[in-house]
Amino acid sequence: MSTAAIPSNELVRFGKFFLDELKPRGKWITPFNVISIPVILLGLVILYFRFTQGLGSVTNLSQQYPFGFWIGFDVMTGVALAGGAYVLCFVVYVLRLEKYHSILKVTILNGLLAYVFYSGALVLDLGRPWHIINPIIGNSFGYNSVLFLVAWHFLLYTGALFLEFSPTIAEWAHWEKLRKFLTSLTLGTVIVGITLSMLHQSGIGAMFLMAKPKIHPLWYSEYIPLLYFVSSIFGGLAMVIFEGTISSKVFSNLIGAKTHHSHEDVILGLGKGAAITMFVYYFFLAFIFMHGEKWKLLNGPWGYWYLVEVIGFVLIPCFMFAYGVRNRRFGVIRVAAIMTVLGVILNRQNVCLIAYNWYVPNKYYPSWEEIVVTLTVVFVEVWVFRWVVTRMSVFSKE
Amino acid sequence: MEYYSYVNIFETKGLAYLLLLSFLVLGVLLIRYLSGPERKDPGPAKKDRAAHG
Amino acid sequence: MDRRQFLVASATLSVGGIPNVNIKADDAKEPREFVGVLVDTTRCIGCRSCEVACSETHSNYVPDITSDNALESIRDTSERQFTVVNRFSTEKGEVFVKKQCLHCWQPACAAACLVNAMLKTKEGPVTWDGDKCMGCRFCMISCPFDIPKFEYASWNPRIMKCNMCYERLQEGKKPACVESCPADALMFGQKRELMEIARHRVYSHPDNYVHHIYGENEAGGSGWLYLSAVPFNQIGFRTDLGTTPYPEYTREFLISIPLIEFGVPAFLLALNTLTDRKDELRKDDEWTESGVEK
Repeated sequence: MSTAAIPSNELVRFGKFFLDELKPRGKWITPFNVISIPVILLGLVILYFRFTQGLGSVTNLSQQYPFGFWIGFDVMTGVALAGGAYVLCFVVYVLRLEKYHSILKVTILNGLLAYVFYSGALVLDLGRPWHIINPIIGNSFGYNSVLFLVAWHFLLYTGALFLEFSPTIAEWAHWEKLRKFLTSLTLGTVIVGITLSMLHQSGIGAMFLMAKPKIHPLWYSEYIPLLYFVSSIFGGLAMVIFEGTISSKVFSNLIGAKTHHSHEDVILGLGKGAAITMFVYYFFLAFIFMHGEKWKLLNGPWGYWYLVEVIGFVLIPCFMFAYGVRNRRFGVIRVAAIMTVLGVILNRQNVCLIAYNWYVPNKYYPSWEEIVVTLTVVFVEVWVFRWVVTRMSVFSKE
Repeated sequence: MEYYSYVNIFETKGLAYLLLLSFLVLGVLLIRYLSGPERKDPGPAKKDRAAHG
Repeated sequence: MDRRQFLVASATLSVGGIPNVNIKADDAKEPREFVGVLVDTTRCIGCRSCEVACSETHSNYVPDITSDNALESIRDTSERQFTVVNRFSTEKGEVFVKKQCLHCWQPACAAACLVNAMLKTKEGPVTWDGDKCMGCRFCMISCPFDIPKFEYASWNPRIMKCNMCYERLQEGKKPACVESCPADALMFGQKRELMEIARHRVYSHPDNYVHHIYGENEAGGSGWLYLSAVPFNQIGFRTDLGTTPYPEYTREFLISIPLIEFGVPAFLLALNTLTDRKDELRKDDEWTESGVEK
């Protein structure tokens, strides 16, 4: 069932079809386009300087802060918030809760694009990106590295997500036999994908295990991998709620009436899952805090900042989810989802940038160029997302 | 040198078990809270649960 | 008991009585005696000729030691200089301390490197290979001494750090800094010998030294060793790094990966089978249809 089996006139047909689909549809002048196009163009100019003059010409990275906003936000946070894909795959394919099937495809698409663009943003940050092939082709396997594990799992999981999404692509291209074959692979890819996710979500945390003397003790613990894994579960769920809210408004013409109606029920279920996961996560934090005997550290600005993260962006959204689910208050659930997403962002920034080298006097803050490039990555992702959902049957039409 | 003085590395273990107990109690409360006020009305709640399964 | 029986019995006893706990074939590995350098900060006069010799050997920026007054501030090694000498005012007067890569016994940077560009060589130096490095800077995150430095201003950046003059060592020479030292503050040799010399100096002049050799156990121990007259935290050393080799912190995680990869898919597949409600209902139907219930 490879493409070679498809006759050449079929490929010609697909080529024409693809070119036709590439053409834009609908209005050009939308608020999103007006904002995103200049930002993307500016981002490309900045990237030109980045690749000709070196990273120092556009970023505020320094010898004390080798990881900046591109790693801390794009890669670390983007991957954590893409966790919704594996959580929903687990719920739908492994636990067979059909209720969530209607939002599965769009979540997988979001996950796939997040991995392609946000972990792809890693290439921008590498000093010698042309050597990125080295750990993959095997001329120098650094098995001893956590990053080796993370890199391979990124790659394999992106492939798994692509396979999970591929039936939709085959359907769009009218390859019925291929679609059936790809659909038959789904359970296998899902199981592999969940396993890979568990390992690389925690692996991103494990990257900081050796930075023990540099991360503020309130944020460092040997359980960082576990914390990263658990926070990717509720971070992913919150992101699914958040994206679902936006999609159901922006692409409401693409979503069927039945799905629109059952969306409330789905959100209640996701909110419930997030509340329980965050409750467990909070107890993980309390347990680590207590075992590390970190009471004294709470005094002072770093302690207060830690409490802001743990109380303000874990415990409070957890209670808000619980309240919203019990009383069917969807506004509260949505606000809780946004706070949770911010909380995961905050946590990753804390470990990677803010509480990293906390004793250094000249702190790192991102330059405007770094922020523009990050926005470029996000906007390009949204462009591709919009292109895909308006052409393939991603949203449930029922 | 501090290496040669007695150190109890399980000092916080008792507290950990207290934390565990409070987690179990609060966890049950949270789950009960999340199951919602439908409890008083057994009819639709049952139906709902069947649909979830 | 005759002589033969006695021999057999004692042989059995020696084999069975004292079990060989070390089941890894340790004699199969070649012995790794690492080289290093002993820095005696009580002897250093702060002439900075090591800085010049280092930069000349590695074609880096050569400081103008006669007029740049660099000792006025505390400097760090940089992407331009692999080693610097700093001056500290302490209770025992001015102390000069040379700083460079310590060449750890179990380097965090090498464990962090996913392409083995950062490599602990058999001889002891930790080297960097530009043909492999992809510039991810994870070695900089991991190094507890903040030694690897990155050329941010270059489109083709290198990771810059001391390699203990690996090329010179292979020619049978000493590192450039050691050779250039006029005050005999630096001594090159195998770590085992250097430790004995260091201990000898401490014990024979107990009032001149603090009774600690920095690098003996710090972060698992390093090739470079330091002697000092004042506590090490007063002369710019971190004393909170612990004695655990840094790769150990990731060991449990890295080793448990296959366990997850064996176990989790099986668990997920089992859950998937056990939650097959449709199959259960179909079997129920078959049961009723076959008439057993009637």
